[in-house]
Parts: sequence; structure tokens; C-alpha cells
Amino acid sequence: MSGVAIAKTDGWEPKIVAFCCNWCSYGGADSAGMGRFQQPASARIIRVMCSGRIDPLHVFNAFLEGADAVLVTGCHIGDCHYVSGNDKTKIKYKYLENVVRELGIEKERLQLNWISASEGEKFANFIRDVTAQIKKLGPSPLKPEGVV
Amino acid sequence: MQKGEMYVGWSTKDDVRKRGGSGGLVTSMLAAALDKKLVDAVVVLKKINEFEAVPIITSDINEVLNSAGSLHSVPSHFAKLIANRNLKVALPAKGCDVRGIIEQGKRNAINMENTFIVGLNCGGSMHPVVTREMLEVMYKIKPEDVHGEEIEKGKLIFKTKDGKENAITIDELEEKGYGRRESCRYCTIKIPTNSDIACGNWGVTGDLVGKATFVEINSEKGARLLQNAVDAGYIQVQKPDEKGVAMRTKIKGVMEGLGQKWKDKIFVPMDNRLEYFRKELEHCIDCGACKAVCPTCSCGDVSKCTEYHFRSDAYKMSMYHLVRFLHLGDACIGCGQCSDVCPVDIPLTRLYRRFANPIQLELKYEPGMDTRKPPYFEVKLNE
Repeated sequence: MSGVAIAKTDGWEPKIVAFCCNWCSYGGADSAGMGRFQQPASARIIRVMCSGRIDPLHVFNAFLEGADAVLVTGCHIGDCHYVSGNDKTKIKYKYLENVVRELGIEKERLQLNWISASEGEKFANFIRDVTAQIKKLGPSPLKPEGVV
Repeated sequence: MQKGEMYVGWSTKDDVRKRGGSGGLVTSMLAAALDKKLVDAVVVLKKINEFEAVPIITSDINEVLNSAGSLHSVPSHFAKLIANRNLKVALPAKGCDVRGIIEQGKRNAINMENTFIVGLNCGGSMHPVVTREMLEVMYKIKPEDVHGEEIEKGKLIFKTKDGKENAITIDELEEKGYGRRESCRYCTIKIPTNSDIACGNWGVTGDLVGKATFVEINSEKGARLLQNAVDAGYIQVQKPDEKGVAMRTKIKGVMEGLGQKWKDKIFVPMDNRLEYFRKELEHCIDCGACKAVCPTCSCGDVSKCTEYHFRSDAYKMSMYHLVRFLHLGDACIGCGQCSDVCPVDIPLTRLYRRFANPIQLELKYEPGMDTRKPPYFEVKLNE
């Protein structure tokens, strides 16, 4: 389906699925709110106990169900609540990235970022940047028909 | 006998030497291993006709001595056959069989201590159905009339029952879309150095051509296997001449170069890949045959790729294939079994290799070539 049926109107907001680690980036999202940093309402946050819990299957499912971008966020390397969880994320992400790239999906649609609980501004900026990038790209080519 | 040594050898039994390929050394070595209780079972091919053979696990020496020998049009794979059986077994294996067995060993489905792998040099195998068609179209002979085949000097030779020999070069056949399976064309493992003992007719010189096998010992187990066969009087070995060793290295180099060339030709960079993958996978009927034959998959019946895949949810791409693309990233050995069994003829090996090539190159990991743990299972990536 090369011609995506969904109109790219000005009002279109991308759907972004953000996987957030309970101990860092989820807190980061909280402090972004508390610090009143403005961010677009495009992100749907899914809390996981550790970024290492994020199975590549979750990411594929998000894409198949109509996500325009998927963000994988976790603690900075060395700060993992479970000692080596984010090291495993790094390895998994390498494979995941390879599949998504080779599949022909734009690299902006899958991103990895390390955000700690105190970095509210970083979180807000990240969401803002990704939203702007995806708005430029338009809806994901994997989005099923009928899903906005 | 030690690791790293090379020999030229043949069977001492006249009928085996005549019937088996290249002096019947492999057949006799397997029979000797069974005879002297080095192993409990041996895997051999039981011939049905010129194009078909079934692999069987046997403990009967006569069955081993009467086995099919080498057939180019039987792309069987032994790794899954011996997995999860806890056998003490010796088996002949092409490069991709060896890689499959080692990958199963890494996943604890095969005990490598108890498995003696007799590696066979392999320039490629052919699909039986394609071979039949090729015989009718290219050679203009009936498949039923064929009585033996051979590859010599880049030519594929079919002998008919009336004693005639028909030869066409492999390059010509492959130009027309016949010949070796696609995965064999771009395979770059021609001499299985990862096996216990590598056997083949490359490097046999002089009077012995066609009557002896060149052997290279790659491990302690391999040395034990060969020593056992010599002691039991099943085979005879001698040192190879320098010319032979040089010739073997040369053939290996040429074949691997050709493989690399095919690889560059098939895996050209491509735009609009998503459309390409969607088009290729559009006929998939979810039979799961590609997973069932995959020699590196050891998940069993309950696995991530099948349990989380629902046909009704696969709006634009099937979850089954997405998970397989990911899991085979560091496991795909490019054996071509998935393409062979696919009932709707999806070129699956080509698709899987598209995902596996870049990541295997990046991580410098060749599955099945050594006992290195797959990087996916490491806690921290060694960079």
C-alpha cells in the first residue's frame, strides 16, 4: 500500500509509543510535568519495570497496531536498578534496530534514549523533537487501514 | 594421529570402494565407529531413487555399508534429526549441517561430546524437483533413465542407464535458473573446518583420482574417529603429496570467491524494502514449515514466533516473520531449508539473509563456525 489513505492534514498528531523504565524515564516524565515543561500530547507512555523487559515483540506489536514511532527509554548505563538490565536493552536494541532498518522503516521511527528521573526537561525535549520529526515524515507505512 | 594432520585414504572393502563416492572412506569410517562401539548409532541416507533419499539413524553396520553415498540432489539436513535425542552418534555432514549441529549444541539440544561430525566438502546441492525439470528441459533426458551423477571441472554430468554421459557446465545451467540451490551459490563455507574431520575429493592427485578421499583432522574427536577406522582395518591412509594440498587450497579459494561474487550479486541494496518484503510474504499461509525445518531453531512447538502471532492481527506484516527475522539475525546459517520446504515458494532464505548479513558482519559473528555464544544472549556486548 504505497498510497496511504489517511489525509496528512495540519491537525494530524502522530501516535508515539514510549516505553519508560519505572525507575528513571517514567520519573523523568513526571518531573517534566512538575517542572511545567511543555510537550505535545502525542506520546503514550507504557511503564515497564526495566528497559530490559522490553521485548522486541512489544515494539513490533506497537508498529503493527498503528504506532507512528516507538521510543525505548531507560536509565543511563551503569545506573540500572537491576544492575545490568540496560546493558541487555542495548544488545536487544541493536538487533531490533537492524530488523526495523532493513525492513525499510525510517530510522526516526525507532529511537533509544537514556533519561534519568531528574531529567524532566530532557524528556520533554525528546518527545517534542520526535513529534516534529514524525510530523514531517507522516503516518507510518505499517499503520493498518482505518487507524488514525 | 593429531589435530591439523592431513591424509589421503580409501576403504579396504572392494565393493564399498567401488560403489561409494571417492573410495568409500566416509562410509567405512562410520561403519568402523559403529563396529568398535565408538558410537551407538550412525546417520546415513537411504536411497529411494536417484533424486530421493531419506536420512535414517541406524545401528546396523550393513545398512551403513549399503547406504546411498553422495547424492547432489538431496538437500537434507541432519541437525534437527539428532537434536533432543541424547544419542552417541557419528554422522556425515555438509558445511551447513555442521553449522546447524553446532548451533543446536549451543542451545543444549545436542551433546557435542557425544557427536562425531564427519564434514564433507560441498560445492552445493540441488533441489530434487528443479533437477527433474532441468533434466527434461536442459539435458533432454527422462529423469527415470538417470543412473548416477557427478560434478567434474565445473560440469554437471548425468549418466543414463544406456551408459551415455551428458555434461553441461554449471554456469550455463545457473544462468537459465537451474543448477544449485540459491543458498548454495552464495555459500562461502566449502570445506567444513568446523567439523571434527573434513573429507572430500579435492586434493586427491594422480592414480587415486576418484578412488580416494582427502582427509583433514580438525579436532581430537576426529583423530579418534580416523585412528579407530585404521586400527579396525576398515580404511587405509597415506600422506598426501604437496601438489594435492596446494590444489585443495586453490579449489577452496576459487569456490569461496565465486560464492562471494554471488552474494554481492543477489544482495544488492534496495529502495522501498518494506514493499518488497510485504509482497514476498503476502502469500504466506502460516504453515510454520520454515520454522519446523530450521536447523538453528530449538524453541520447540511453543515459541514466541507462533504463540504471539494471530492472523487477524497481522494487518500489514505477520508477527511470525518479524520475530523470525529478529531471532535469525545472529542464528541464520543460510542453509536454504526454509526456501526448499515453503509450499508457496517464498524465497525465505534470501529474506532472512537480508536481515542476518548486516548484523553478523557488524558483530563479527559467524553462527556455527565456532562455539562462541550468540551475542544476543550475552549480558554485555564485547565491543
